[in-house]
This record gives sequence, structure tokens and C-alpha cells, in this order.
Amino acid sequence: MSNFIFGRYLPLDSVVHHLDPRNKLMLSFCYIVLVFMANNPVSYLVIIAFTVGAILASKISLGFFLKGIRPLLWLIVFTVVLQLLFSPAGGHVYFHWAFINITQFGLINSVYIFIRFLLIIMMSTLLTLSTQPLDIATGLASLMKPLRWVKVPVDTLAMMLSIALRFVPTLMDEANKIMNAQRARGVDFGEGGLLKQAKSLIPLMVPLFMSAFNRAEDLSTAMEARGYQDSEHRSQYRILTWQRRDTVTWIIFVVVLAAILVTRRW
Amino acid sequence: MKMTVESRLPKLSTLSLVTMGLLMALQLVIKSFSVGPAFLKFSFTFLVAALIARLFGPWWGMMTAAVVDVIGTLMSGGPFFIGFTISAILGSLIYALFLYRQPVSWSRLIIAQVLISVVVNALLNTLWVAIMYKTPFWGLLPVRLLKEGIMTPIQIVLLYLLFKSQVVARIQQRLKL
Repeated sequence: MSNFIFGRYLPLDSVVHHLDPRNKLMLSFCYIVLVFMANNPVSYLVIIAFTVGAILASKISLGFFLKGIRPLLWLIVFTVVLQLLFSPAGGHVYFHWAFINITQFGLINSVYIFIRFLLIIMMSTLLTLSTQPLDIATGLASLMKPLRWVKVPVDTLAMMLSIALRFVPTLMDEANKIMNAQRARGVDFGEGGLLKQAKSLIPLMVPLFMSAFNRAEDLSTAMEARGYQDSEHRSQYRILTWQRRDTVTWIIFVVVLAAILVTRRW
Repeated sequence: MKMTVESRLPKLSTLSLVTMGLLMALQLVIKSFSVGPAFLKFSFTFLVAALIARLFGPWWGMMTAAVVDVIGTLMSGGPFFIGFTISAILGSLIYALFLYRQPVSWSRLIIAQVLISVVVNALLNTLWVAIMYKTPFWGLLPVRLLKEGIMTPIQIVLLYLLFKSQVVARIQQRLKL
């Protein structure tokens, strides 16, 4: 329960927090492409500088970013160790035994991959920590609008998404209540073998499904009573505005992109 | 085996729309209730994804799967990668092809779940991890296949129990599907 998805936003007053959510979404998608492009020490330095700059600008302390790395730790260790031990020959060989080679090439490669992991995780953690879920949803709905041209019902999906976000905390509370109620009747959650653990979740899931559906019925009746017919023919109350600082972030991004394009040839 | 696919998106009632919204919320909630040791984390989100696919068909299944994947990763602080969204969409499509407007049977559930476990979870997701982090594909694949080998039977049994349960029958009846 410690990784509860809604408690992760950190309300701080920084430049990053005040950016347009659409802008932050686009930037973090493009950032991953940027990380893919770096291929030598200098280009990695450029992108590290950019990332550190963004983190500093957000005023969020480093400890929160380290927390974001924890769930992916085994994958990081697995990858780095495999790269280190089984990389193709190249450069100076430090250690050799049977099919295991620790080479200069492998060492450099695993350092790159380690950095790459850190960068990608840190930037996505930054987006989560500096943006409220509802803002992410509004931004996403706005970015999906062009999909209307391929007949995707964007407005309906946006409506579903805002209903979903509104009810995550409610259902979360409810799940906890049901768990406690079943515990009081003798159910042991998270104990015993895998199959027993899975089975013990049935007394949680079944009431949760039913309660979610009951809420859906009540909410849809109440929505129709307030004049809801469809998602298309309505106006908007929540409006996002693109500001000058959003334009500035793109100028910085393009500069970094240019720097990487230049340095990766070295 | 007969499959049903509609070329046009069916019109939604308000109740269906809100139900899908709440099921999406449920999916986000259930994500945080995973069981098992750290290296074999097992979450139950597939149950909700399969239920949406069964009740509302491939189109709504795929679209809600995409939205839940994107918003779920962004809000849990995980790195976004389009590949995993494609995996989620494919999983939902496979569930819908086998389960939408079809009687529930062991053979359908087994084929659908094995297809998803092997093609989507094992092959594709390993490929995405390999592209994103340069994790060696052939090194990771055996680990993943082993995990799926343990999980798939449990998933099939749970899906069967869910779809045969009174709850789903009652929901289906009230949605007039």
C-alpha cells in the first residue's frame, strides 16, 4: 500500500510545478527519445546536465527520486551485470574465465546503461511529483484531441478518465474497509502460499466489483438528472493556458537536442 | 471457434460509460494490491481488463486499456514507453476476441490467456524492456517465461471463477448487454 499512486504529488511552488501539464507530458515523451540518442561521454554529460537542471528547478529533494528507482532495482542490477559479464570482446580485457569476459568495452557499456536507467526513471518521477493527477488527465485529454480525425471518441474517453480519477481514492478507501471487515471475520491477506494468497483476495474483489457497479448506477442516474446526454455537445470548465515559460522550456529542449546531435558525432 | 468483431463503435449508454469509468478506477486501485514475493509480483488488473473486454467489446476494451496504461504509468512515476501501451491494447483485443458475446468455456479462456502470456507478456514486454534499457533479450526471456509459466494457470482459474460468478452475471443483467 506504500506505493499508493495518489499520494505521490508534492505540492511545491516551483517553475516546473507551474508549467502547462500538456507541455510537461510532451517534454517527458520527447526526453526518452533524447536519452536514446546519446551515445558517448560528452553527449551523456549534456543530457545529465539538462536532467540535473530540471530537477533543481523543481525544488524537489533527491530522496524522492531515489524512491522512484526502487521498484526497478532488480532489472537495473540484472541488466548491468549481464552487460558486464557477457559483452562482446573489445578494448582491454581485465578478466577472463570460460565464457565470462570483463572487458573495457563491457565496463563502459554497463556504466552507460546504468546512467540511462537513472535518467529515464528520474525524469518520469519528476513528471509525477510535480503534476497533479487531474492535471495529467486534462493534459492527456487535450493532447488526444487530434485522434478525433481517426474516429476515436476522445471526449467520451476523457469523461471516463475523469470519472476514474475521481473514484480511485473512494474505491481505495472502500477496499481498505472491506479488507478490515473481512479480517475481522478471519481472512488472512498476504499470508500462506501464492495460491492461498490469490484465493484470499476473492472476499475482497467480489464486494469491490459489486460496490463499484452500484456506484456507477447511482452516478449515471444523477448525471442524467442533471441533463447529461453525450460527451460531445458540451462546453468546458477546466481550461489550460500555454504561457511564456512553456515556450522557454521548448527553446531549452531544442538547444539540448542540437547539442546532443553535435556531440554524438565525436 | 466463432469470434465477434464489430466494425463500428457501438453507442454507449450513460450507465455503460460510467461503469467503464469505475472499472478503470478499479484497475488503478487493484494495481497497488499485488501479492507474492518481490521477484514474482502478481497483480490482478488482468481481471478488470478481461471484464471490460467481455462486457464492452474490443473497441472500448482497447481504448480503455490504452488510457489506463498511460495514466497508470504516469501517476505511479514509472517511465512511459509506447510499447507497453501497445501490449496493453493487444491484451485487451485478445480477451475481447475470445470472450466478447461468447459463452465462457475453459478452452476459450486457456487459449486467450496462453496467447497473452506468451506473445504479449513474455515476448513483447521483454522486447520493450530490451529496447528501452538495452537489457539483453535472450537473458531476460527465460526468467519472464518461467514467471508466466507459474502465473498463467492461476490467471486462467481466476478468470473462470470471475466470469462464472454471480456478480458478473448480475452486472451484465443490469447493464442489459
